[in-house]
Amino acid sequence: MKQLLLSASLALVATAASAETEIRVHYAIPTIWNETQERLAEAFMAAHPDISIVIDGPAEDYADGVQRLLRESVAGTAPDVAYVGLNRWRILEDRGLTQPLDSFLPQDTDAAGYTDALLSLGQFEGQQHALGTSASTMVLYVNPDLVEQAGGSMDDFPTDFDGIIELAAAIDALDDITEGVWIGRHDWRFQSLLGSHGGRPLNEDESDITFDSSAGLQAAALYSRFVTEGGMSSMSQNDARQSFPAGNLGMFFESSSLLNRFEEGSEGNFELVVKRTPVIAEDDVYFPTGGSAIVVLTDDAERQAAAWEYISFVTGPEGQRIIVETTGYAPTNSLVLNDLVEYYEQNPNAIPAHEQVAEHAGPWFAYPGSEGVAVTDLIAAALVNLTDGADVDETINDLAETVRDRLDMN
Amino acid sequence: MIRRWTTDIILVGPAAIALILFIFLPVLIVFVLAFTDYQFGASSANWVGIENFADLFGSDLGRKAITNTLLYAAIVIPTSVGLGLLVAVGLHSISKTLPRFSNALKAIYFLPVAATLVAMAVSWQMLMHPSLGLFNHWAVALGFSPVEWLTDQNTVLYSLAIIGVWQSVGYNMVLFLAGLTSIPDTLYDAAEVDGAQSGWSRFWLVTWPMLGPTTLFVLIVTAATAFRVFETVATMTRGGPAFASDTIVYALYREGFVYFKAGYASAITVVFFLALLLLTVIQLLVVERRVHYR
Repeated sequence: MKQLLLSASLALVATAASAETEIRVHYAIPTIWNETQERLAEAFMAAHPDISIVIDGPAEDYADGVQRLLRESVAGTAPDVAYVGLNRWRILEDRGLTQPLDSFLPQDTDAAGYTDALLSLGQFEGQQHALGTSASTMVLYVNPDLVEQAGGSMDDFPTDFDGIIELAAAIDALDDITEGVWIGRHDWRFQSLLGSHGGRPLNEDESDITFDSSAGLQAAALYSRFVTEGGMSSMSQNDARQSFPAGNLGMFFESSSLLNRFEEGSEGNFELVVKRTPVIAEDDVYFPTGGSAIVVLTDDAERQAAAWEYISFVTGPEGQRIIVETTGYAPTNSLVLNDLVEYYEQNPNAIPAHEQVAEHAGPWFAYPGSEGVAVTDLIAAALVNLTDGADVDETINDLAETVRDRLDMN
Repeated sequence: MIRRWTTDIILVGPAAIALILFIFLPVLIVFVLAFTDYQFGASSANWVGIENFADLFGSDLGRKAITNTLLYAAIVIPTSVGLGLLVAVGLHSISKTLPRFSNALKAIYFLPVAATLVAMAVSWQMLMHPSLGLFNHWAVALGFSPVEWLTDQNTVLYSLAIIGVWQSVGYNMVLFLAGLTSIPDTLYDAAEVDGAQSGWSRFWLVTWPMLGPTTLFVLIVTAATAFRVFETVATMTRGGPAFASDTIVYALYREGFVYFKAGYASAITVVFFLALLLLTVIQLLVVERRVHYR
């Protein structure tokens, strides 16, 4: 017993002596990230015994997380590094809280597995403020049982929205409870449909709204067509996330990050299949990338160096592998793809999701300025009105005008 | 004299300082922020005068939050006060003949008050789920068409009002029961001698007037909670769909903590604070006059 105590205290002294730098890490959405974060911290500390990682209690979601980071930075207790939503790091950048990473990045970024497309997710005005740590785009989750019952075929699955709407109507007609297709009335989903038609929400220098283009009108028209032709109901995002694994929803446009959750939820009910979101335009197609980015908040040079060690680990092959295997997100480092062969064999549904990221990943456009978050709610409200039967051209043109007004673009 | 002064200051000082530091000063800061465009986490702010207030009353969103809150309160206040009174009178009248049954019912009615509303909201969400929910299964079984309880712009506020009533009836019932037991039996006897034979006339001539002060108190308490509605909105609808269930306190939260517009959120807080202050003043003034029955 005495010896045990002695060795335990020796071990404590040893860690205290060697762990000289302590890095505090913030993250959000524990339902997806809890296990991942612990494994990342453990693996990192095993490789870097001189740095210890302390994980803050997680924030409920990315919105809540940014809020907390702002609060903590006002109080002077901000963590050293933070995982934030890919569309939200600019809120921190706007207030001068993020530390540029350019001086830390390796000369040959390609060789380190950071492709230009993935780097672009964290750049603003030529500076690298954030590095993507996980990526997801909108895919189509399909319940093959319902497709077969409705007379469709998984081998000959529609590759355009017209075919999907037709199939949705057939599934919707099966019985009272079953529904054909569902998509969230939400900024990110709308941007995904827009990108599939080759449109963009904003012009290059972010001085004007461009979602009232013909691509935008086509994308918006899908919302009303899903309802009028495909029988889409007005249930909420959470309702749909319960309905799909329960087997009551045939096709569901949703983030690829939910793959693991849906596979667990639908186990025993049906074998879900993931399809890529149809691509309509020939050029300029992009899918806005959801997921998280990591930023450095500390302004202390020594801690920054340690923080970079941690960042290069989690965005490097080893860390990315942990993230992909435990969350279902697509990786943000191209080197890891070769390591994942075995994972893809066991998770064939991850292939279309990850291919789509590799081919079409683009930034999730954040509207600039202080009203940036507020206008995404206005967009969501307009999409709700579309599904409630409002005229497409009128709604989208009005919306574009309102958004220009709020963002001082007139 | 000086010694008394120092004693007074020593006794009052700590509490007064805490009050000033933690209540008056923050309120003052909020009042000042209400006239700026301060962004949460920003290092500076500009003076914008009454622009925030003009926005709240002039914009579609601001007006919608206000009318939604008023409509919600207009449903919840009379319904939950009325139901609370009805239940209390009913339970009071059977408390002598069926004491156990009456007590069990009291406990059941009081349960929503004791339960955590956020946890209950999750249960309600399941009940109101459009395809998996019990409500729509019953509706279909009874031959009605399913209702989009929380996701239809035209029904969502009423669904939230139902939950608001469910939650406050028990509390109102307890207050009315307390009021009922304090009515002396002699008054009923006297009324009977004077010819008030039917149940209704006993209620109308004795119970209702005697419950006056209680009713007023219940009204004020219910109004205060109804105007403050937040938890159900935040957990179940987040103000949606399309701001159809946006209420003042939720808008305050949304503008301040989701959009980070601390200045605008402060302006909403000021307006809300003044409205509740007005309610309290009315309560004090009216209650002073209404105690003449005692």
